[in-house]
Amino acid sequence: MSHAIEVQNLTKIYPSPGKGAGFLAVDQINFTVKQGEIFGFLGPNGAGKSTTQRMLTTLLTPTEGQILILGHDLADDAYPAKRQVGLVPEESNVYIELTAWDNLMFTGRLYRMSKADRTARAEELLKDFGLWDKKDVKAENFSKGMKRRLSIAMAIIHKPALLFLDEPTPGLDVQSARTIQNHIRQLSAEGTTVFMSTHQIEEANQLCDRVAIINHGKIAAIDTPEKLKQTFQQVQSVEIAFTSSSEGLEEKLTNLPDVSTVLKIGDKWRLYTDSPPDLLPHLMKFSEKENLDIVSLNTLAPSLEDVFLQITGKQIGSVSEEPSPQKADMRRKKGKQS
Amino acid sequence: MKNLWTRTFDELSQAWIVTLKDIKVYYLRPGMIMFGFLMPFFMFFSFSVRREMAAGEGMSRLLALTIFFTAAAAGPFIIPTERRLGTYDRLLAAPMSLLTLLLGKIAVGAFFAIVVSSVAAIVGILFLDVSVAQPALMIAGIFIGAFTFSTMGLIFGSIPTRNPGDVQMPSTLIRWVLLFVSGVFVPLSEMSTLARGISYLSPLTYAQDLMNHAVLGTGELALWLNLSILFLSGVIFLLPSIKLHKRGRVLGY
Repeated sequence: MSHAIEVQNLTKIYPSPGKGAGFLAVDQINFTVKQGEIFGFLGPNGAGKSTTQRMLTTLLTPTEGQILILGHDLADDAYPAKRQVGLVPEESNVYIELTAWDNLMFTGRLYRMSKADRTARAEELLKDFGLWDKKDVKAENFSKGMKRRLSIAMAIIHKPALLFLDEPTPGLDVQSARTIQNHIRQLSAEGTTVFMSTHQIEEANQLCDRVAIINHGKIAAIDTPEKLKQTFQQVQSVEIAFTSSSEGLEEKLTNLPDVSTVLKIGDKWRLYTDSPPDLLPHLMKFSEKENLDIVSLNTLAPSLEDVFLQITGKQIGSVSEEPSPQKADMRRKKGKQS
Repeated sequence: MKNLWTRTFDELSQAWIVTLKDIKVYYLRPGMIMFGFLMPFFMFFSFSVRREMAAGEGMSRLLALTIFFTAAAAGPFIIPTERRLGTYDRLLAAPMSLLTLLLGKIAVGAFFAIVVSSVAAIVGILFLDVSVAQPALMIAGIFIGAFTFSTMGLIFGSIPTRNPGDVQMPSTLIRWVLLFVSGVFVPLSEMSTLARGISYLSPLTYAQDLMNHAVLGTGELALWLNLSILFLSGVIFLLPSIKLHKRGRVLGY
């Protein structure tokens, strides 16, 4: 068995309240996840990420298709698969009325661990996740980051062969996010397969061996992050910062030849183009003409975020489905304001 | 065969682990105390005030009431609360069958009812000097009634929703209807033929008659009938719970 997850023709249609056709959330998707790899599952809101993950973890019944988890068909008997799987849902679902220690003991018992094993493992995990000093504190007194760490510790107490993570780090401080990312790497190094659905594209870029991008319920792309980036060379960009600004600068940059989109990022301007070498001379002339001194100038290869936005049909610079008015004001496509 | 035994033992152990966790987490929550502990006592005293009633008769009614209300309080409170907090997903994803999880939840309500009704029985015996005609039958009746009515509560908890309020309203309403048509406040012997016929539709009628047999030594219905109907009701109540849970997993709850 070389695959931790095998999905064939997986489909989910949520029944409608009336006699309508229902809502097609996942549409005949196929993919495999190799044992030991970190697999990222990316997609915009409502694309089918959570629905897919809930079907893979037996929380949701598929309408059609087959799911093999560690070689076990979930439709036949999910029990042997469940014993080897850990789940960290999007919301940290710890029992807030219980202490950190009791939360881990309960989970250890659920996975049929002996008392000696679960106490030793709980101590190890609480120390690793920086919660040992709080082991006798009820989780209701924990911060969001502490609950997240406890939730992950509960999911891996039984050393699962396959770990599902739903949005592991959003909303966490940098230190908590780093701690969790390091643990994900460590788990992978120890042989655990990690299936991670996330909005954090840079996180997926740094952590994942392969990523799948799901859009409108279908797998739009699946490959390593670097190969996906190579496929989308047309979304290269030039990032430039000037010492000062001038009136109508954004409009003027947008009107430069070879520029498809202009995005203001902090004190820098990012100019998307399919040919940075052709754009650079125009930019130099422009800065001279406008009397603008250049602080920095970089050419950038497409990022995984750019690939994601291209595939999902979003505008560059807009990760959320509905950009805020402030963001929309900052973004200008050639010829029209978005 | 060995695998079957191991699996069965594992599943039963899982149910017990769920029960112990719920006892620790939920027994002292306001929702459980209000609907499971205070409500049956309030109802009993509000109907008993200014009515002449022998201590044994009062204890028999209080036992039936506490078993009924307390056992049925757990399901409608715990399961939607866990769905809202996401902790129910943890249980559904754990290595156990749906039936095992439901058995664990049934035991939570049943043990709560056994504890509360035992307190009522001890108070009656020690402080009101009630003489129990058949103590073993009383204990058996408390156990079987507690499991049956906890299973009934589970049906409401299985309704696909994350809001406990959506479940408490219909569950309380239905429990009140079953209470008023039963023989708890108006004995079967004093009912009209029509009222008596309707009372047979409420499983609480059989629990009350069973308690009358146990505490007073006499009842209107045959003992075997009370026991059989209570047991069968428990089994029948389990079926819609399983179906509703499966439906919830199709709908995404």
